[in-house]
Amino acid sequence: MMDIVEIRHLKKYFKDGSQVVKALDGIDLAIEKGRFTVIAGASGSGKTTLLNTIAGLYEPTEGTVIVDGLDLSKMGEEQLTVFRRRKIGFVFQGYNLIPELTVKENIMFPLALDDTRLDGAYFSNLVRMLGLDDYLDARPHMLSGGAQQCTAIARALITKPSIILADEPTGSFDMKTTQNVAGLLKMTAATFHQTLVVITHNLELAQLADRVVRLQDGKIV
Amino acid sequence: MSADIILQARNLKKYYGKGETQVHALDGVDLEIEAGKFVAIIGTSGSGKSTLLNMLGGLDNPTSGTVTIGNTELSGLQEEQLTVFRRRCIGFIFQNYNLIPTLNVWENIVFPIAMDRQKPDQKFIEEVVGLLGLEQKIHSLPNNLSGGQQQRVAIARALASKPHIVLADEPTGNLDSKTSGDVIRLLQMTSRKFHQTIIMITHNPEIAQLTDQTIRIEDGRIVS
Amino acid sequence: MKNMLGVLTRRSFQASRMRNLIAALAIMLTTILFTTVTTIGTGAVESITLTMQMLKGSRSDGDFHNMTAKQYEALADADFIREYGLRMPIGFLTNTVRHNVEFDVMDSVQADLTFCMPIHGSVPKAENEIVTSDAALRELGVEPETGALTTIAFTAHGREYQLDMIVSGWYEATSEQVSMMWAGTAFRDAHPDIFEYTYDRNRDMAGTYYSDFIATSTAGLQENLDHWVRQMGGDPDKSNSDHLSATINTVTNPTLDPTTLLLGAVIIVLFMLCGYLLIYNVFDIAVMQEIRRYGLYRTVGMSKRQVKELINRQALWLSGAGIPLGLLIGYFVGKVTLPYMMSTLSSSYENVVINVNPSPIIFVGAAVLTAFTVFLSTRKPIRAAANIPPIEAFRYVEAAAGRKTMKKSTAGASLFRLAWSNLGRNKRRSAFIVASLSLCVILLNCIGIAADSVDVEKQVSYRIRTDFAVVNALSKNILGGFTRREHGLRQEVINIINAQPGVNGASAIYKNTLDDGNVTYDFPVKFDYTGTDEETGIDYGGTNGGIVFNLGDDGHALCNVYGMEEIALARMDIQEGEADAHSLYEKMVKGEGVLLGVVADMGTSILNPAFDLLDVGDVITVFKNGEPMMELPVLAKAALNGDDMEIGYTTRGPFAVGKDGLYLYLPTSVYTEIYDEPVIYKYSFDVAKEQQDAMDEFLQGYVTNVDSGLGFAAAKEARQDAVTTRTMLQFVGGLIGIIFGAAGILNLVNTIITSILARRHEFAAMQSIGMTEKQLTRMMIWESVYYAIGVCVAGMLLSVILAFTVVKTLTGGIWYFTFRFTLVPAAIVCVLLLLVAAILPVIALKVFNKGSIVEKLRVVE
Repeated sequence: MMDIVEIRHLKKYFKDGSQVVKALDGIDLAIEKGRFTVIAGASGSGKTTLLNTIAGLYEPTEGTVIVDGLDLSKMGEEQLTVFRRRKIGFVFQGYNLIPELTVKENIMFPLALDDTRLDGAYFSNLVRMLGLDDYLDARPHMLSGGAQQCTAIARALITKPSIILADEPTGSFDMKTTQNVAGLLKMTAATFHQTLVVITHNLELAQLADRVVRLQDGKIV
Repeated sequence: MSADIILQARNLKKYYGKGETQVHALDGVDLEIEAGKFVAIIGTSGSGKSTLLNMLGGLDNPTSGTVTIGNTELSGLQEEQLTVFRRRCIGFIFQNYNLIPTLNVWENIVFPIAMDRQKPDQKFIEEVVGLLGLEQKIHSLPNNLSGGQQQRVAIARALASKPHIVLADEPTGNLDSKTSGDVIRLLQMTSRKFHQTIIMITHNPEIAQLTDQTIRIEDGRIVS
Repeated sequence: MKNMLGVLTRRSFQASRMRNLIAALAIMLTTILFTTVTTIGTGAVESITLTMQMLKGSRSDGDFHNMTAKQYEALADADFIREYGLRMPIGFLTNTVRHNVEFDVMDSVQADLTFCMPIHGSVPKAENEIVTSDAALRELGVEPETGALTTIAFTAHGREYQLDMIVSGWYEATSEQVSMMWAGTAFRDAHPDIFEYTYDRNRDMAGTYYSDFIATSTAGLQENLDHWVRQMGGDPDKSNSDHLSATINTVTNPTLDPTTLLLGAVIIVLFMLCGYLLIYNVFDIAVMQEIRRYGLYRTVGMSKRQVKELINRQALWLSGAGIPLGLLIGYFVGKVTLPYMMSTLSSSYENVVINVNPSPIIFVGAAVLTAFTVFLSTRKPIRAAANIPPIEAFRYVEAAAGRKTMKKSTAGASLFRLAWSNLGRNKRRSAFIVASLSLCVILLNCIGIAADSVDVEKQVSYRIRTDFAVVNALSKNILGGFTRREHGLRQEVINIINAQPGVNGASAIYKNTLDDGNVTYDFPVKFDYTGTDEETGIDYGGTNGGIVFNLGDDGHALCNVYGMEEIALARMDIQEGEADAHSLYEKMVKGEGVLLGVVADMGTSILNPAFDLLDVGDVITVFKNGEPMMELPVLAKAALNGDDMEIGYTTRGPFAVGKDGLYLYLPTSVYTEIYDEPVIYKYSFDVAKEQQDAMDEFLQGYVTNVDSGLGFAAAKEARQDAVTTRTMLQFVGGLIGIIFGAAGILNLVNTIITSILARRHEFAAMQSIGMTEKQLTRMMIWESVYYAIGVCVAGMLLSVILAFTVVKTLTGGIWYFTFRFTLVPAAIVCVLLLLVAAILPVIALKVFNKGSIVEKLRVVE
């Protein structure tokens, strides 16, 4: 099976005031295509930084990141933007839906940015699977937390990306919603043969994964 | 009130809304805190711990019940009086530090005292600064400090006016594990050294273990 | 994507109404600024042009004189002519006394172009119908009404005609001295004898063709006309009247002088600056408020270009809202202020006609200027928004301080130091606000200085030396002037005036006319060339220095000669020679010499060297009927003002008689000796203060009801005109200053409000650790007042600098200004500003800092 993500000797350092924070301190990682990987670790261990780097939101201080055959360090800012739009599906802890747009418009947003036509069948499928049929014309703030996250998941999937990255997708939910959303996430990813990389504290979600990668102080342990 | 008890809460209730959908954020809380102790109030999200902290700090009014700090009952105070009381008798440490970005470290530390038009106790504050390892940073502005350093400044600010109690709201929430440990140890140390009462709310049981006393809150009530 | 951008724009408008309202308001204010000025500008130009056209009598682009019938018909083929009229002059009516009536045949096009179209009734159709003015009709003894009968008499080709005509229509006269009467082509066809073409033989006008025309384009009009004239067999360089001549109407097509253009450019740049400072800040703030949103878009995959497009689109929509409204308001403000602006020009023009039409220039011009300003102002903010890396934008906390790492002082926590350090958060924004408000202070102060510097007494003393002066109405017409004996004042008028209470210091002023060609003067100035004026038939001689003298019957100069009492002479500004007026007058009475007047600089009264041709002691010889009569050495020289030459600003009279000189002043006794039939052209007198209003009323009544051929000037009138200039400056300048001020205040208000909204969390934190609401309010008041203090300092300083550089130079260049420095306007504005700055935060906090501490603390970063 091909590795959809190849990371070698990745280091990412930040300046925090006058100190240097070594968020990632030498990461070697390969993620298989189609798999469900969980990245775990204490707060401050570098998980979010790792995810953002895979998404091209951070430039590595050292090392290489290759996603779906593309070497991110060789790409300019606009290229990275387009890369994110087409190849990455991002699910945040705070959903980050656009409040002015309806659920349907939110899901289709990445496509609209690209001027790409919607695959109607795919869309209906996705929507049905995530239980959003009745909410398509609603604004995000009218939905429950779980439904909003499902919208975000749909948005992440709509462009049929290379990889789905989720940062604490169930972080603010109670147990029941967590179970629902976790299950839906895994199922939709599997149905559409997506690679799924999830950061989470949640032990139950971690149990659904094919593989768990543990980070501590910027290194894999 | 017994000489040792610095804070007392009686039958604190805080309800939001009416009727069937009424939320009981606090549902009859009784609390007594001894002076000089480092106390953790632990609970999951939605347990009411933040609401409790707001009541104890006079930032919000209870639906019923009383809070007494020292010899003052908070519900008897007007808005301005409450602010002045907080300024002199309560120190706050927030999760996101809330330092004033245009003031340097020293100015931030003495801010509440300055608002009171008092002269700061120079020696005492220098001691606190030394204890917290901030001597080199006295003239720095907050956005040039790391998270841990900013939180230390916030601690110094909370201590500077020698308040009756210090209330800390998830003080390590934005910090990594190592720094978190440092901060908690500092709080411990200052509590011991200055006989300062510190009440900290958190959801992290590991952190709570480092305190003198843990109070557990669930669904608006104290459970242990 | 376009669709999505549209959706996002529309929805975000709905989401942040207040921010968008302020932005639209800012754009609207800028538009109002530009529109007010374009309206006043084009309105002023239109009004002046129209007034001049009416004074001249034609609004055409040009006219043809002395054409034959064939030449006239050929006009139809001229492709540079869009439309042309028919005019066949006959002559002046002979049965009129005071009001002159010229009788022509015309068509409607011509009548329209020369302001002769009937307002009441209709154009003449039958051969016995005419159209004319109400003044002409009254002169003929008929009440102006359609259908009235009147008899006209005139001479053509040496024959006298007397005809009964019916008034088919009439209009209100625009001139007091002369009107047009015209008949239609039916009249021409019925009287072929009148219109026989004999011009080439005897220069009879009747039978020739004239035409006023509108050109298809004014570009290259002179070449077109010259070419046409040549084609028709004439010589465009010779204005000899054997053939047709063509002239451009300079009143309709005035040339734009560079100073006006420069002034216009300066004003435009100034306004753009004002708009820029406001709109930049507004957009900068608006965009930064939204920065997290843009960060989200970028994280999810929106490219930089798309973000820019999005914000550009918002700017476009806001302009679409703000500009039209601004155009409308600005137009009406300009329209209302126009009359005030024009009333100042009554010092230079009588009867100004005020007219402003909603021409596209006004609106397109203002809209384009505003759009350009908006474009310029939004470039930087948009670029900044697009260029922030997505993650940073996402977590953007705007309240963070600048790039400083250290802050040495430790005194910061007092309220006003806290406020001061807050201003440093965004230095550029603070600077723009201060600049924006300072513009207002500086402008108002400069205008205040200019208004204060209007030297009223200087203007009055130029126009008239006494309280009153009665003249022939012609002297009060800038295009008129006293030139003939028949226009002299009658003794009975003088008697009536003397009979009025309070009259003192009176003197009749005599003047020579074109009818006094038999009295001439010789003096030590050599003519370098001579010639004869085509139109008037008067001979002239000139020097290479550009001075021209009209010559009398015997080839010597006619000069402009005045006779007056001692009291009048004593009022003149004698600069060289015999300084004591009494001695001078006594000597002159004995025939020992003459007072020579020299044209002087209006502002400084310094003799103009170009006209200063003789020295004290030079001898002037008086010639009468070709024989030397007396010798008059120059005893003294005086600097002349308007009153010495004619009255007010009129100079046409002396210019028509003596041309450039000399100006000679004699005692009445000597003058009446020299001239046969000496005529009085002006009666100058003072009036006791208490009686002045009564005299004014009396003269008004007399001139209107009894003798409309008379006019009078009053010092009071001159003073009023001067004061009007000052008022106009204050009004227009004040208006613009207020708009600048509004822009500045809007800038300040916007900043305060958004600052409060963005810092609510911070305020809550400060309040939780002990800052009371009162202290918070005081801190915010200090922040606001610091801006105001900055404005006061910068504004006052720059006001002083600009006053002593720019304003001083400008007022130095215009004669009726005397530079007077003042800082009072700036001080007043600054005090007002300080008050407003102190009040604004109090209100803003009450409105926008609502909610409990806990609520505000919970506001997520």
